[in-house]
Amino acid sequence: MPTNAIASALPRILPVLRGNLLVGLTLAVVTLPQAIAFSTTLAGLPPHFGIYAAIWGVLFTAMLNPSRVFSGGPNTTMSAAIGVTLLPVAPPFGVDYIGYALTLILLAGLIQLLFLLIRPLGRMLDLINEPIINGLICGIGLFLIFKSLTGFAGLPINTEVEWPLWIAWQSFLAVLEIGNLYAIQIGLITLITCLVVRQIHALRNWAILIGVAAGTAYSEYLNATVGLQNTMIEQIASLSSVGFVFPSLPLFNQEAMSDIISILPGAVTLALLGLFQTVAAMRRMNRKIGGYTDSRRGIFADAVSNCLLPFLSSLPTCASFNRMWLVYSLGGNSRLTSASSALILLLMVLFLADWIAMIPMPAMAAVIMVVGANMISWEDIKPHLRDRREAVVFMASFLSVLFLDLFGAVVVGSVLAFAYSKWEQAHPSISLSGNVLKVRGNIYYGSLPVIESTYHGAIERVGSLVLDFSECYYIDQEGIRWLAAAKTEQKVAFADRRKSQNRRELERRKTGDTKRASGKRRGKPDRRQRSEF
Amino acid sequence: MAALPARLLKVALIVSILGGLYLLAVKKHAEREALRQAAVELTPACKAKLQDYALRPGEQYRSPYLLKTAGSSIELRGYSEEDVRAIQRGCNIFDDLQGHLAKSGPRERWHADRFVRGTQTTCVHCHQGVGDKQDAAGNRLVGSNSMGTSWVMADMYDRFTGLLLPHDWRQMQCYINSSNGFKPNSADDLLRDVTAYSRFLAAALDLKIGNRYPEPGMDEIPASATLRRGDDYVRGAHVYRQRCASCHGPQGLGTVVQGRVLYPAVAGPESFSLDSRMNFARVNTVMPGFICRNMPPGEEGSLDNQQCRDIAYYLSTLPRPAGDKQGPLVAAWQQLMMTVMPPLTRYAGSLGNNDTAHVSH
Repeated sequence: MPTNAIASALPRILPVLRGNLLVGLTLAVVTLPQAIAFSTTLAGLPPHFGIYAAIWGVLFTAMLNPSRVFSGGPNTTMSAAIGVTLLPVAPPFGVDYIGYALTLILLAGLIQLLFLLIRPLGRMLDLINEPIINGLICGIGLFLIFKSLTGFAGLPINTEVEWPLWIAWQSFLAVLEIGNLYAIQIGLITLITCLVVRQIHALRNWAILIGVAAGTAYSEYLNATVGLQNTMIEQIASLSSVGFVFPSLPLFNQEAMSDIISILPGAVTLALLGLFQTVAAMRRMNRKIGGYTDSRRGIFADAVSNCLLPFLSSLPTCASFNRMWLVYSLGGNSRLTSASSALILLLMVLFLADWIAMIPMPAMAAVIMVVGANMISWEDIKPHLRDRREAVVFMASFLSVLFLDLFGAVVVGSVLAFAYSKWEQAHPSISLSGNVLKVRGNIYYGSLPVIESTYHGAIERVGSLVLDFSECYYIDQEGIRWLAAAKTEQKVAFADRRKSQNRRELERRKTGDTKRASGKRRGKPDRRQRSEF
Repeated sequence: MAALPARLLKVALIVSILGGLYLLAVKKHAEREALRQAAVELTPACKAKLQDYALRPGEQYRSPYLLKTAGSSIELRGYSEEDVRAIQRGCNIFDDLQGHLAKSGPRERWHADRFVRGTQTTCVHCHQGVGDKQDAAGNRLVGSNSMGTSWVMADMYDRFTGLLLPHDWRQMQCYINSSNGFKPNSADDLLRDVTAYSRFLAAALDLKIGNRYPEPGMDEIPASATLRRGDDYVRGAHVYRQRCASCHGPQGLGTVVQGRVLYPAVAGPESFSLDSRMNFARVNTVMPGFICRNMPPGEEGSLDNQQCRDIAYYLSTLPRPAGDKQGPLVAAWQQLMMTVMPPLTRYAGSLGNNDTAHVSH
């Protein structure tokens, strides 16, 4: 019977399956260079870390996250955060460094679990608004371009933190004066090929791949004519060590403890960066396909995956905006896409390792530049510049990435956004016409002084007042006490001009769908209806 | 349809910018290459030093220093003309980091001024004797920061950071902390030439990799080397005014006459940063050692251990730039202090109830 059922369902399933597998193949091909580049040039870890993140990270999140367009895997910002956090602690690519990186990832995973267990913490993630996220994304994009300058020119990657723009300028001058010209040629060919291919609509999603192929071909041409010993081009090392799984253990011992404590802020940053992106990307992409997935499901998938990944030699995972956009635009509509991309990538790495090893590093750096440039999109920035407050929050978050660090940017942006929304709430619109003082907004401890100043001025001039708060939607206890005290002075009458008929209608509508709209409020008096004294 | 030419235009613009940058890079590379090939005009100190060590292109090299001190010398492989130029440039950089003595200015020093904040710092301020300080008899002095020993002892584990520290990374630390600047790329000629010079010194002095020499580490003067009265910056300030202020200035801002640095700053914006090992508050043995061994010039050894520690302690209380990893708040605070404190101190001195009045200009 079951075989029969499958056989009858096959004609329906097959096209869907084939479509999603094709998208999965594209996704795998696009992810591979990103994975290698992120782990080597950003995180300072061997390439198999990125590859395993693109295999196991993607697979775990695809299994745990019910969203249909979700795609996890290695992430630029998280990789950069690992590099930035660990560079003062140990030299990159070393044994200690790898141990600390695994510890850092595990700590981040555990912190993410906290965000799942403590509900309000998880809810806080929703309070990061779009200008902050876009400011972060633009700042990181610019940072990626600067960061890959040295790799682009075949120069040694400088070993300490490269945040300040001034040092980026120094790197730029170094590229001009002492860069390896062969490396620059390879990088430019990759960059320009990407750029040109992107303009051809049918090949748009293959641009990065074709660019890398062109860069590699030119590098092979140089190897044949000039010789690798003369060009001194660095290539991706052999991936022959990459197998099915690569077990690993985070570093936890007595001597390392002081360093582990010193990277704790980095772990918090890493956890937050992952969750922000996951929550924000899920919010944005789910709205795009007209669906909804609880962000807690995303947090759960990320937290569990990131607790497992450090035992599999992998970078941490979180949502990837650019790859989710790719899946969406190619019409992937099932979790099968991500899962299949992970498995296809595993097969590629197992059987095509020799080809991958030929890719020159300058081409990888050029890919990172393209990714960085893609993150800065005028379409995303423009809406924020229309409103002064949004513009300030956006610019603060953007500049903080460049002048402080990622965590500083999140803090500065959040504080500003929070301050603005609080400021808004604390300034209700108050109008006096005749002896009617109308308050639109909140009556609470923050806004009371504003209301009081107008109120007392009006009382002095008019003598007796009618306080109209029919358009108040929130009154806190302090507000109620103040209103009661004002009432006992008998200089003021209260009015709530919402018509009783309307209110009854409102009540009826409310009781009609108690299940959905006010399930939690049942039994509690609604503040909006208590506003008559 | 109208969007297509616009996009093409955009692509063409980006491609031409990239192409322009490539051509610029080719031009800059050619300039550098020309400078590498050009004959080097040595500073007076370098001329003397390299003449002493008989540096010239040839098949083999025999060190006159060894011949003089040990009576015999070993034949080493000689230097090509290219090597000699690199060593000469390295020595020039060492003696005159910012190109004050060069005809075409900082260009001849690979634009080292880009990596240093301020205009006064140069290597010989701390690495005296152009990185190879000797007494009249030709004995290398302990605590002289000799660059030859620094080269042979590179790639050892660094005592303070615990890192396996290559020579170029160590030089970067100098740029970042001691000259309060930025690190050059480790492929930069700036680092390579100084490495070449240090390496030449090691050959000329017959220093061997694997040995530990006492010269580079400044002689440590820990608290245990004193009578344990405790370090005191007030006492330090007093000694400083008596013994140091006549050259380094009442506030440690150095003496500069007509753009020439006669005595370097030990505090203020032209000085080493809070992250430097010279900062007593960070590493409390290096600066006392340096003072005891090298200061005041001509009267080395006249200060006792406690006095050296006190002076170093006092210097660490003067305002100086923040380290580059200490963040914007510390940087802003130090900047404020460096701006506000000198006039305030001068004013306090002018009141007359403070002994700075006796030495202030």
